[in-house]
Amino acid sequence: MAAPLEPLDLSGPADEPVLGDLTGKTIRGRSLAEIAWSRLKRDRWALGGGVVIVLFVIGAILSVFLANSGVLDIATYHTDLIDHNTDAPLGTFGGISWAHPMGVDPQYGRDMLSRVLVGSQFSLLISFTATLLSVVIGTVMGVVAGYFGGWVDTVINWAMNVFLAFPLLLFALSLTGVVQGTNSAFGLSGNALTIAVLVFVIGFFNWPYIGRIIRGQTLSLREREFVDAARSLGARGFYVLWHELLPNLVGPILVYSTLLIPTNILFEAALDFLGVGLKLPTPSWGAMLADAVTNQYYSIDPEYILVPGLAIFISVMAFNLLGDGLRDALDPRSR
Amino acid sequence: MKRNKTVAFAAVCAGLSLLTACGSGSSGGSGGSGGNSASGGAPAYNAGIQNIVNASTKTGGTLSFALSNTPDSTDPGNTYYAYMWDFSRLWARPLLSYKDVPGKDGLQLVPNLATGKGQVSQDGLSWTYHLKPGLKFEDGSAITSQDVKYAVERSTNYAPDVAPNGPTYFQQYLTDPTYPGAYKDTSPDKMGLTAIDTPDPTTVVFHLQHPFADFDYLVSMPQTAPVPPAKDTGAKYQEHPVSSGPYMFSSYDPNKGFTLVKNTQWSAASDPNDKQLVNQINVEFNVQAADIDSRLLNGTLDLDLDGTGVQTAARAKILGQKRLQTYADDATTGFLWYAALNTQVAPLNNVDCRKAIEYAINKTTQQTAYGGPIAGGDIATTILPPTVDGYAKSDQYKFLANPNGDTTQAKSELQKCGQPNGFSINIGARGDRPKEVSAAQGIQEALGQVGIKAQIQQYPTGSYFTSYAGSPNFVHQHDLGILMGGWGADWPDGFGFLSQISDGRAIKSAGNSNLQEENNPALNALLDKSTQTTDAPGRTAIYTQIDQMEMGDAVILPEVYSKALLYRNPAVTNVFVTEAYGMYDYTQLGVSQ
Amino acid sequence: MITFIIRRLFAAVLMLLVVSMVTFAVFFLVPRLAGQTTDQLAAQYVGKNPSPTQIHAMEVKLGLDAPLYVQYGRFLKGIVAGQTFNDGPDVSVCPAPCFGYSFKNQEPVWPQMLSALPVTGSLAIGAAIIWVVFGVGIGVLSALRRGTVFDRAAMTVALAGVSLPVFFTALLSLAIFRDTIPLFPDAGTFIPFSQDPLRWAGALVLPWVTLAFLYAALYARLTRAGMLDTMNEDFIRTARAKGLVERRVVVKHGLRATLTPIVTIFGLDLGLLIGGAVLTETAFSLPGLGRFAVNAINNKDLPEILGVTMLAGFFVVMANLIVDILYAVIDPRVRY
Repeated sequence: MAAPLEPLDLSGPADEPVLGDLTGKTIRGRSLAEIAWSRLKRDRWALGGGVVIVLFVIGAILSVFLANSGVLDIATYHTDLIDHNTDAPLGTFGGISWAHPMGVDPQYGRDMLSRVLVGSQFSLLISFTATLLSVVIGTVMGVVAGYFGGWVDTVINWAMNVFLAFPLLLFALSLTGVVQGTNSAFGLSGNALTIAVLVFVIGFFNWPYIGRIIRGQTLSLREREFVDAARSLGARGFYVLWHELLPNLVGPILVYSTLLIPTNILFEAALDFLGVGLKLPTPSWGAMLADAVTNQYYSIDPEYILVPGLAIFISVMAFNLLGDGLRDALDPRSR
Repeated sequence: MKRNKTVAFAAVCAGLSLLTACGSGSSGGSGGSGGNSASGGAPAYNAGIQNIVNASTKTGGTLSFALSNTPDSTDPGNTYYAYMWDFSRLWARPLLSYKDVPGKDGLQLVPNLATGKGQVSQDGLSWTYHLKPGLKFEDGSAITSQDVKYAVERSTNYAPDVAPNGPTYFQQYLTDPTYPGAYKDTSPDKMGLTAIDTPDPTTVVFHLQHPFADFDYLVSMPQTAPVPPAKDTGAKYQEHPVSSGPYMFSSYDPNKGFTLVKNTQWSAASDPNDKQLVNQINVEFNVQAADIDSRLLNGTLDLDLDGTGVQTAARAKILGQKRLQTYADDATTGFLWYAALNTQVAPLNNVDCRKAIEYAINKTTQQTAYGGPIAGGDIATTILPPTVDGYAKSDQYKFLANPNGDTTQAKSELQKCGQPNGFSINIGARGDRPKEVSAAQGIQEALGQVGIKAQIQQYPTGSYFTSYAGSPNFVHQHDLGILMGGWGADWPDGFGFLSQISDGRAIKSAGNSNLQEENNPALNALLDKSTQTTDAPGRTAIYTQIDQMEMGDAVILPEVYSKALLYRNPAVTNVFVTEAYGMYDYTQLGVSQ
Repeated sequence: MITFIIRRLFAAVLMLLVVSMVTFAVFFLVPRLAGQTTDQLAAQYVGKNPSPTQIHAMEVKLGLDAPLYVQYGRFLKGIVAGQTFNDGPDVSVCPAPCFGYSFKNQEPVWPQMLSALPVTGSLAIGAAIIWVVFGVGIGVLSALRRGTVFDRAAMTVALAGVSLPVFFTALLSLAIFRDTIPLFPDAGTFIPFSQDPLRWAGALVLPWVTLAFLYAALYARLTRAGMLDTMNEDFIRTARAKGLVERRVVVKHGLRATLTPIVTIFGLDLGLLIGGAVLTETAFSLPGLGRFAVNAINNKDLPEILGVTMLAGFFVVMANLIVDILYAVIDPRVRY
């Protein structure tokens, strides 16, 4: 369905007189981006998700500086705030106070606000980078397979099937488990190594998800007239890919990246639960939630489950909402 | 929040009331006096430490255990975990065992298959044991001395390719250390080990390379439990070890668990130690740890076999409710959490620099890191824990007087060792153990207060002792002056605790346990002397001497005498903590409903 | 059609080989690249305080001292021709397909996996029935009642469902429905069907619902989106114009078109799930393939890991094959 034209406005000054003085504005078609944006603006849920995401990202970036400068303290114990018989924080809601707006964690009394904010760094970093990796590989493979066809397509298709057949979770478990058994590898150690492995495993094995979709889109796009037009003007493969196809793929790429990120956040949390992945005392959301759930803190300190649980839940919801909104906004057929 | 707790408590009560425990004052048990003291007592918090709780002769019922993982092996020749050494006595009776009573007396050795403790020859190189008459395996065949000899021949000592998990003390101390193992034994009756003689069917003679006064402790390990050669299935033996005890295997699945039923060939007359009260014992593997606790608290599980205590949430519930607390015991496990101060990494080669560290540490923080006074344990002031023979109260660095550390004294020690402004050092810890990492962080923080800059390096548990902390080369290369660790003795006396971690001659290039790499000739000589001292009080005095010498040398920073909060289902009878294994004694139990 | 199946089977075998090679590489190559020696590798499988002799004996026993390709060759040979194993006094024979003997407990891998299969099967198939019925059903209804309260509520719940970690819902459900209100006292254990069908079901209700919740949410969203797309298609308009009853339009024309992609995804999901619902099984302590895999990985037990990875891969591949064949049956446009 074509977008409606802007109504004629006879009042203001003209930008570029096309029909003399009778028209107020230039009539021109809106690009896909503009159409999508105006649709997105009307979707309150998606906007809400977007705002939340922006807030989280700002929070994560800020937390880097705040933690370095000492304002956020993830490591100091405050055992005076803990009830020594139950290991639960004293006071209501997990020890909320002016000094600790989100309370403290059980047994050690570390500040929860700091830990949650610093933890966002890990969740966002890992899921963003892994998604980036998936998207880059997936797009390249998908476009190449869709555009060139033939045996290239067959090989890439087969590769995608192999990757999809891999029991991803098992694989991630094995790889992270093995790498953590060695203390340092490939020049990294400790947290850096774990993060690198997680990003690699999550990102590298998820590329077929994007790859399939991009391939499908490419297949349909390459038959379109503008591609023929470019080719008839002498454009060669790479030029066509870069200038004609890719801009039209930005939409689906954006949508599916946004939908892939929350899956990756949950995946990382699952790996923490299974014992590979980031471990305490590193304050990753997944590690904290896994600790809270495995040790059944809900009965003595529910806040310890709620805080990282909500952090994960809200961020995942936000990305899903934004992704859904983007998909609806970019879909030419949605009303 | 309060409402949730009430509901939770009500639900727990509802669950427990199925066992008529809630709301009825005391539970089960006959012969109980009303108070907390005297044996046969009613349940109370920590009643199981010095008394037998719910003493009863009632028979029948099923006992159910659970584990959060799978055991290393149920084959008595192939296991190295305290809980399995405790539990396996039900189907694998060794020559001697620990007395099944609570308290200090539980550290004594008493005869099990043997008629008495070993008779030592004049030169101290031969130890002789006699088997009781009329002992039978579960299939009715007689137990002979050759079965005991075969058990040792097929164990980890000589056949590590088939049985890789157990200890190797016999191989170290007996003559004939190159015996190739029972499966490569070319002699017709498989009796090729010259270190053990079986002159008649009820006599076993062990020949040692050097005199070793602690030999009785070695034969109390499960590896002397007899194995009939004709029924030995090697690596598969763990599925059905031929029983010499009150129970025998009726089923085994390596991923799910196993079941024991009564061994009809066992007789109480031949076995004054164990009891055969229940009809069946179930052990379930791979149950989530927190789930084990939930089932313990709601009464559907009897005991956690692992014996390392409940997790955080259950601990909170138990300590928060008086009713539940009466079913818990905070047992001393015999394990010491400590940090080794490596004497080969500068400047810790200087004793005063090491003493500075001893004074600087904040003991309360360390205790909290390991779980606080109940779940972690008591602040340690000596190397030997209180349940080990040789322990004597002593506090050379005034840990108890200054639990938050003594920075003044620490700084003056730093002056003495020529580092008035502190120095830099690395701490090695097992990264997948949050408590250990927390403890390392505590050390880091405390040392920072006196100018010592410490960096924490984390390593994986699986290879910590084989490749990192336990590899002196690695330690030197990476300046790991402080090494976090823990240690429990294989037998509860000073030698059993100290030899591997303090003897300079025990330093290995991989798999080293003497993390501080101390090699003090005087100390080594004392260790040797203890193995040749035949009177027990004499030995005890030597152990105390070694402990104090090591503390004076500041090579070890003891942190916590580990404790575990254990929970016993109110239905279980004859429950108590055995100091020998630091957990409940599993050979006396019954069920009361 | 036959040639198609044969070609796919061939590709499947190839795929499984690739999966096994990669798993092998993970376990041997990666530590080596990171600088571990075979000694250190072998030391992980011995008991406490091992002596160098013990470590070396373990190395030889596990065959870790042979070069990689030899070890891989032995593994392949085992699958095809079986393997023998020296268990001490005797030699035991493990018939084909032999995935080797567990490094840790010396049991053959294949029988262990077989005994774990019914558990995972019970969990996966039970949950699958629930999530298909509810997920697709709610998705269709939501699409048909677009914009109503029902639609909004359903989609919000669905969104929440895909946003919560599975282990979180699992352990929370245990806490509420087993510990606080003892509705399902058996949850957290597995009672074999042959032992007591009623308790078998009782123990599985919570795991079924937890797992199904997640997938139902996903499928509801998918189905709704697919249904909305389909109902806008021309052929639906034609069907209505022909005068068909709305119900017929929806069920006979709309649903059929919508379900085709859903069937593909369902096949893949079910295949993956039977390969091991790792999180659910761990959370509920169910002795299925997933938990078997986690334990194997924690113990670094290579033969078990290889076995379970290949079995899981096999299920996915088979599921894909079946789905493709079904596609040919459902969609007349597909020709092979």
